[in-house]
Amino acid sequence: MAKKPLIILLLVAAALLLLPFGLPRFYIYLTALIVTMGLLATSLNFALGYGGIYQLHHGVFYGTGAYATAVMITKLGYSPWLAFIAGPLAAAALSLVMGIICIRLSKLYFGMLQISLGSLVWAIVYRWYSFTGGDDGIHGISIPSLIGSSKGAYYFTMIVAGLAMFFMYRILHSPFGSTLQGIRDNAVRSQAIGVNVRLHQLAALVMAGFFAGVAGVLFVVVDNSVFPDMLFWTLSLEITIMALLGGWFTFLGPMLGAAVIVSLRTFVSTYTEYWTFAMGLLLMLVILFLPEGVLGKVFEIWKRRKSLEVRS
Amino acid sequence: MEFISAFCSPGVLCQILLGLSRTVILFIVASGLSLILGVLRIPNIAHGSLYMIGAFMAYTVSKAFGGGIMGFWMAILLAPLGVALVSFIIERGIFSRLYEREHIMLFLLTFSFSLVFGDLVKMVWGAEYRSVSTPSFFQGSIPIFGLPFPIYNFFLLLMGPIVAILLWIIVNKTKMGKISRAAAVDREMVSAVGINVSLVFCIVFVIGCFLAGLGGALVAPIVNVVLGMDHTLIMEAFLIVIIGGLGNIWGALLGSLIFGLTQSLGILIWPQFGIVFPYAAVIVVLSFRPTGLLRSTW
Amino acid sequence: MLEVKGLSKSFGGFLAVNKATLEVNKGEIVAVIGPNGAGKTTLFNLVTGIIKPDNGQVIFKGEEITGLPAYKTCKKGITRSFQVVNIFSRLTVFENVRISVLSQQGKTYRWFTSSKEFANEETVELLESVGLIHRKDNVCGALSHGDQKVLEIAIALAGKPELLILDEPTAGMSPEETARCIDLIKRLSQSLGLTILFCEHDMELVFAIAQKIMVMVRGSTIAQGPPDEVRRNQQVQDAYLGGS
Repeated sequence: MAKKPLIILLLVAAALLLLPFGLPRFYIYLTALIVTMGLLATSLNFALGYGGIYQLHHGVFYGTGAYATAVMITKLGYSPWLAFIAGPLAAAALSLVMGIICIRLSKLYFGMLQISLGSLVWAIVYRWYSFTGGDDGIHGISIPSLIGSSKGAYYFTMIVAGLAMFFMYRILHSPFGSTLQGIRDNAVRSQAIGVNVRLHQLAALVMAGFFAGVAGVLFVVVDNSVFPDMLFWTLSLEITIMALLGGWFTFLGPMLGAAVIVSLRTFVSTYTEYWTFAMGLLLMLVILFLPEGVLGKVFEIWKRRKSLEVRS
Repeated sequence: MEFISAFCSPGVLCQILLGLSRTVILFIVASGLSLILGVLRIPNIAHGSLYMIGAFMAYTVSKAFGGGIMGFWMAILLAPLGVALVSFIIERGIFSRLYEREHIMLFLLTFSFSLVFGDLVKMVWGAEYRSVSTPSFFQGSIPIFGLPFPIYNFFLLLMGPIVAILLWIIVNKTKMGKISRAAAVDREMVSAVGINVSLVFCIVFVIGCFLAGLGGALVAPIVNVVLGMDHTLIMEAFLIVIIGGLGNIWGALLGSLIFGLTQSLGILIWPQFGIVFPYAAVIVVLSFRPTGLLRSTW
Repeated sequence: MLEVKGLSKSFGGFLAVNKATLEVNKGEIVAVIGPNGAGKTTLFNLVTGIIKPDNGQVIFKGEEITGLPAYKTCKKGITRSFQVVNIFSRLTVFENVRISVLSQQGKTYRWFTSSKEFANEETVELLESVGLIHRKDNVCGALSHGDQKVLEIAIALAGKPELLILDEPTAGMSPEETARCIDLIKRLSQSLGLTILFCEHDMELVFAIAQKIMVMVRGSTIAQGPPDEVRRNQQVQDAYLGGS
């Protein structure tokens, strides 16, 4: 990796590490939330930006991971640590099932079938009051005291999210990741060179779902609650906005997008109740003028400067 | 045997008809959505918000005319027109410049509009829910299967086929309709023949959104007109369009029927999870016919 | 090596390939010629598994492979280049070939190690053999059309095929590029012992290197044999070569 970006990353990492010692509790919570959403947006980008799959209802895996964990702790009485592992596994399992059903279709049809399957999951959770808390959700989920405090939850989130991001990065730069991007760019060509496109895409979906489940678990740790909106299609589109805003052909773009959206939402909401309006406008501006996203634009400018240097 | 006779009992049939009358609204909105999706290939998420705007506008118009029968008919006329005007503005202003972009970008753009409209409604009408009263002409009930059936719902049941037939005439029998169907299949060919495709798209878009507004105006008397009524509706409308076949009006009708019937039956059989049944039906349909039950224009 | 018997495919009423037959022996260079729309590309698509035939058989090395999907026929030993350049446009030349090598080596499921550690020597070798090594870091969009078509061949070669199918390999190439391509095809046949099946419109090229020619008109095979025989065939002359 080149020197300058590495230095920036190390500085950010150091800042994140020391943050809880300088800031009030709310900001610790907010940063943990940003990292969680960033992880979620990155897992979406895994399927969407790198895999070219129309993952229109990614939120359902996030919600499933969160609900699986919450239900295991509160209704089934399992140890939270076990629940933390069960969450992503449940999300991955759902991903596999939904993937097998949807993978025969391409592009928009795939996305729409995923939305309908996801809506089914939402409808069931919404109505199953006794098991999932229905439209109230589940609150006050007990977390082990080690990570139950504000600082504890924060560091737990940083470590887990950091590991998840690391693994996703490795996967995307591995032969599997290259193959996936090849499929995104040219599925027919990939077939012709011997790649079982469907199987690779299915594997990518399961991975993306798994990491979304991890984000779900982190949310439970940070917020101690779950609610049905996590499974509703509007959240899935919000995550897509985060990925788009940050730059969905880049790895860290979605994390940046999440940081922008969550921060903006928090601060804009203190001034006005019309945050949704603002987000809508923001999305419009991004689509019209910045479709490669913030980070994408940065890379573009950097590449252009580099090629100018080379020429001179 | 007992189950079947219990099933065909007047009470159950009435319930089913009641459910269907509400599904007519879904059909009207979904047909507009299908039209736009079939011809312009834009999955218009803002359709739900336009439906909501139609309902709120109907409230305002109806109130302006003092409620009553005059208010009702003016609302049914003016609210959809108002929505059509809004859609005209956004189509000319923004959408028409972006038809070359990939679907997912257009999809997200319509989502941005739905976010903006959602809050615009809050700004203009406030956050409390509104009621539009059923005009006296439509109050009361008529006997169907020996049981009282609300007149307004009966009116809705009639509106369904009327709208369907009108739409079918427009799409299949008028010149505009034929051009738009051709443009759906091959945009370049149609413009190469000298037809202003951009204008065609504009008209189709406006008609589609008019239908959304009409749906909203028609539903206003029987539900609480409230923020967020767009969220579940748009999802259901989309699913109906997909199982019906993109761009196919009869498909939207068939899809709405399936959706409405499974929902009514679901609520009768298992009230707690009644709303799950339509989604399950959608999945079943899509597993066997992924491109929809009837022919789509794509 | 390859036997095509009575292969047919129609698209919504249009019979694109009509009981076509073809025989390719090991080590041969065989050309398929015919007017535009004769069904040559469709035939190749049917053989390689991009589309499924309605009727007929495709037999490769004695094994029936009719209707096998493209990724399986590739693993069996048939790779191809496409008529319209069909590459991974966002990646560099090197990456394009590397992916193909990775697939051939069965490493596409490796998920932890960086792909930069794999297949480097093989990719360099391949690029050198087709003469594209000086362009290895260029993004494909920036290449000349002729270079892109050679890249197509390189990607197909990376699959270590026994049968290489080339769909109009010199279409759109300048005379120098065409000459270099002909050289390349000859070299591949001689040094690697590859069996090569291609289709072309450039008759000089065809008669220069093909050892056997199959003529397709309106989806059917009307002649198949050594170049002289085909040239003398009356039907072929009337249909395609313009009589003489």
